[in-house]
Amino acid sequence: MYQHNGEEIFVIDGHVHLWDATEENITHEGGEEFIQCFYDYHTTFTPEERQWDMDEYREYGADRMVEDLFGNAAADMAIFQPTYLTDFYEDGFNTTEQNAELATEYPERFVLNGTFDPRDGEEGLEYLEELHEKYDVPGVKLYTAEWRGDSKGWRLDDEEAFEFLEKCQELGIENIHAHKGPTIRPLNRDAFDVADIDDAASSFPELNFIVEHVGLPRLDDFCWIAAQENNVYGGLAVAAPFAQNRPGKFSEIMSELLWWLGEDRVIFGSDYAIWNPDWLVEEVLEAELTQEHRAEYGVEWDLETKKKVMGENIADLYDIDIEAKRQAFRDDEISQQFGLEDHYASEEPAAADD
Amino acid sequence: MSTQTSDGTAPDRAAVRDRLDRVTDPELDRSIVELEYIDGIEIDGSRVAVDLTLPTAWCSPAFAWMMAVDARDEVESLPAVENARITLHDHMHETEINRGVNEGLSFAEAFPDADGDVAAVRAELDEKACVARQYDAVEALLNAGLDAEVIVDLRLRDLEMDDSTNTVDVYVDDHSFAVTAPNDPIERYLEKARETDLVSEPDDPLFRTPEGDPIDAESFDLVHHRGRLAQVNMSSQGGICDGLRAAREGRLEGTADD
Repeated sequence: MYQHNGEEIFVIDGHVHLWDATEENITHEGGEEFIQCFYDYHTTFTPEERQWDMDEYREYGADRMVEDLFGNAAADMAIFQPTYLTDFYEDGFNTTEQNAELATEYPERFVLNGTFDPRDGEEGLEYLEELHEKYDVPGVKLYTAEWRGDSKGWRLDDEEAFEFLEKCQELGIENIHAHKGPTIRPLNRDAFDVADIDDAASSFPELNFIVEHVGLPRLDDFCWIAAQENNVYGGLAVAAPFAQNRPGKFSEIMSELLWWLGEDRVIFGSDYAIWNPDWLVEEVLEAELTQEHRAEYGVEWDLETKKKVMGENIADLYDIDIEAKRQAFRDDEISQQFGLEDHYASEEPAAADD
Repeated sequence: MSTQTSDGTAPDRAAVRDRLDRVTDPELDRSIVELEYIDGIEIDGSRVAVDLTLPTAWCSPAFAWMMAVDARDEVESLPAVENARITLHDHMHETEINRGVNEGLSFAEAFPDADGDVAAVRAELDEKACVARQYDAVEALLNAGLDAEVIVDLRLRDLEMDDSTNTVDVYVDDHSFAVTAPNDPIERYLEKARETDLVSEPDDPLFRTPEGDPIDAESFDLVHHRGRLAQVNMSSQGGICDGLRAAREGRLEGTADD
């Protein structure tokens, strides 16, 4: 838990990956372009002394991931969001199966999500059922701009996609995370259009639609849709690191989100390993809205709001009992490994530096 | 297309720059000169060569295409220019774009496997730019003392530009009196509103919702918020582009040949 002004904030990192971008795994130039582009994002927003080199970035492995996420208790839990990209990577870039390596080892700490691709048809529906049976996934991460053969993407309001959303509803997979983010070559820009969320969200009111990266660079379209569909949420991955090197812009984006969506529908995610939560959580929690934005929008980035955005909102979506987790983490394997028993043991807020 | 001046005078560098300044990054709605995308301008008689680099090699090929085509067309619109050659550098599709733009191909011809043409993308971005510019224009009128009811009823004919003072007189209440506002934000808005056919006739309402409908006074605040949001969206993307450019410069400096 993050200690913030004497208060404890339970942090659930809503967006993490365990990827393999080694040269041996790349089968299409798109795979190399993809990781290079990620790396540009990484170096753009990461403080210089915390930047990785390209080799470790390609494949960091399970142990490092556990340490980066939980070693200093920056995050208490994390949610895996797979990114298959099987046309670019031999074994996939970041699949449910790859993520399962850690998720099954530390089931209390990780939530494992699956995925679907409507272009896979009947086979895809079977795969979704298989993921449900094998891992009991509570959510799916969707990459509408993923290349598949000649196809450069799909839409969530396609008839085929609706079949998969019906299947999710039937299986009890309630959380639909859609990547709607910055242009990442060589994926198609138009597939990041957020308009398809609108129809899907109103057609499936029992499902939750979490728009990752808050639609940037379609923030305006995203907020307008989210303001009308109350089952649409905004994931902060990519917007969050603005807190580090463009605090004024962070203040402005956060003010817009809080104004349009309210404090219950904004969700933190680091996008690990694009960025490390061990510095990002601190930057986001220490960020302040400018006086000008607070007056203009009438919103606050105060303790209550921070607790919601950093953990409580997504805990509601995933039925996570934060208090039970706090107690369980007093002596779980990870707390023992990193000497965090005292950190979770305190009833009262711990000292600033534990 | 272009007419050579009779005395063969070479085009003026400042005039070329001024033309390029009118080209915007369609996603950010800011001038490519101001954004420092222009690396060089070379003038050789009636031929002009322009070098261009975008913040990231992954910048959407459709956006890169629009900027290169616009740069060519703007420079070639100068009477003294016979030919403008555009060279885009360090872009993953520079070969297709440079060939297409300099040989006068269409986007679909330059990118046979693209999903469609750039016209629809351009129109959508122009509309967003218009929404964002409307925010500034409306802010200027609010600051000049006009209120929502009056602003939503304004027509093009209610404006009278005064270039000598850089102001605009806005006539209200059936032309019974006028309020003076700075004309820059209004001009900038009108430029985009005309381009997108939103405002052209004297009786056209001056402002509209992002969907193109007239605004009623009750929804004025909400529409105004949406304009602000469109600006935040653009400037956030600008922040990402700036960052990616800095990251790339750092990376290229670190490697001897790339």
